[in-house]
Amino acid sequence: MSATLVDMGAQDRPGDLSDKDADFSAYMSARQPALYRTAYLLAGDHAGAEDLLQTAFAKLYLSWDRIRDREALDGYVRRIMVNENSSLWRRAWKRREHATDTMPETGALDTYDDGMGGVLWSFVQTLPPKQRSVVVLRYYEQLSEAEIADVLGISVGTVKSQASRALAALRARAPHSLHPHASGDDAR
Amino acid sequence: MSPTPLEDQVHDALHRTADPLQRAPFTVSDVRTRARRIQRRRAAVAGAAVAAVLAIAIPVGASMVGPTPRSEVPPVTQPPAPRITETVRIDPLSAPVGGALSLPLIDVDEQSLVVDGETAELPRRYDQLTPYSDGWIGITFVDPEDEGAVGVQVLGPDFEVLDEAAPTSHLAVSTDGSRIAWAEHDGERWTVVERDRDGTREERRTSLPPGSADARVRPVGFLPGDALLVGTTDPATGRESALVVGPDGSTSPLPASLRVGSSSEVTGLVSVQTRFTGDGSCWQVRDAGTGGTEVWRTCDYSVLGFSPDGRHVLGFTDYLTAGGSPTLAVLDAATGERVVDFEVAGARTGVVAINPEVAWEDDGTVVATLVTGERQYVVRLGLDGTVERVGGEGLDVAPGAVALKLAAPGVRPG
Repeated sequence: MSATLVDMGAQDRPGDLSDKDADFSAYMSARQPALYRTAYLLAGDHAGAEDLLQTAFAKLYLSWDRIRDREALDGYVRRIMVNENSSLWRRAWKRREHATDTMPETGALDTYDDGMGGVLWSFVQTLPPKQRSVVVLRYYEQLSEAEIADVLGISVGTVKSQASRALAALRARAPHSLHPHASGDDAR
Repeated sequence: MSPTPLEDQVHDALHRTADPLQRAPFTVSDVRTRARRIQRRRAAVAGAAVAAVLAIAIPVGASMVGPTPRSEVPPVTQPPAPRITETVRIDPLSAPVGGALSLPLIDVDEQSLVVDGETAELPRRYDQLTPYSDGWIGITFVDPEDEGAVGVQVLGPDFEVLDEAAPTSHLAVSTDGSRIAWAEHDGERWTVVERDRDGTREERRTSLPPGSADARVRPVGFLPGDALLVGTTDPATGRESALVVGPDGSTSPLPASLRVGSSSEVTGLVSVQTRFTGDGSCWQVRDAGTGGTEVWRTCDYSVLGFSPDGRHVLGFTDYLTAGGSPTLAVLDAATGERVVDFEVAGARTGVVAINPEVAWEDDGTVVATLVTGERQYVVRLGLDGTVERVGGEGLDVAPGAVALKLAAPGVRPG
């Protein structure tokens, strides 16, 4: 059964979940915290992360019946989040909405840090969206370059160049202790 | 290759930031609510154009700038583009309806901006509009009676004017939208201005030798190494020459040309018109990195618009006017070899044309507006020869006019 506006309205009744909703609910329960973390790293704040993740889940929900490979669901959600986050227009539109409606940051930043991680994280947040996506997918999600290329819809060569530029930018902005001479890169 | 210490530190920093987060803010009901909203938007995009029959009065010549990744449809891995031997006919009436268009559109008649199905009224007419800082930057008409005279405006989130300059050129926007350039004339000389979208570095200004405003200067596109391709017009002859502006403010002219076409910020290739034959034109693709040496030439196409990955370039009709082109070819940017040919279906007695201002949606997809049978449509064209109609049923247009235009084109003929 394809999901329509009417169908979804009917499914709002508690205790009347369709198979689709039950499957979807199980997937959400299992994967939401992990995908939220990726969303947070992509967006840089909780409001943005929630927006990204809710949009990605909603689009997944709309496509649920067409996705045969349940193993690929995480990749599908990541792909939507990355694309949404990279949309300049979408981000500008959101800024406009925020300026008009003032969407508050929800919750405090609940992380711990020894200082250096926070510095690096603050620099990661300044990277252009595509470079930042590559960094998150590579160093947090631990995806291969080929997998990142697939998620971003770009070539492996572009993934490499984006990662290289991102690291160069981080080196340039980061404190001296992260520079190659200080960190031991030269020894390799 | 083993990770370098910096890579290890980035890995650690990301995990320290994210791992403590244990959030699951949404229920299935929340998600269904958002899904309904998305469905309504998609329906609105399809329906709005059906309901609105817009009369318009703007000459073709508008712009699309800057790229936008397609957000509704996740990208797929791009295989090498197959060669399509048959010409692909673009018939908007019979083409399948594609996924929602996330590229922004300017509704000329309604004076509004349409993004992903949402509409915002614009306080004035803009010929280009792209995100900048916390708001926007746009090109507006200085004199409503003279659409050749334009100025740049820096806008806040709600399109309030924060800063402006005139007269200026149109904008050039880098593939990822992070760099924006224009040229402005101060009464004595043209100055090329380049800014980062996020304001992360100082504005770069390169003043050219004194000259009148008629000696038009316009940034055409970006090149590798933070360089910029600029077109400079000799008002006496009307010829446009290419100039490379380096990040250090240096300027290097490329070999003579009649008109400057486009540039690739990945490969450093540029396209220029070199001859006008009376009923057609000849173009060259040159390598800006080697001082403008010829890579290939053609007298079959007007060559404009490199794909984001630099692998392909578009070929419009060799006699290209502001009215557009009845054909569009996708060419191998390195060789000029044709990958796929598109032709607009329709009677040759009427206006049948693809607006030359098009946008690459991604490395394998072009979005264009076209006019056939006095209606304007938006179509998505794939390197694999696919054609989709997007953005509704089409709008009525007067001859030589446009109703909808992409706010952010990647190709903007001078």
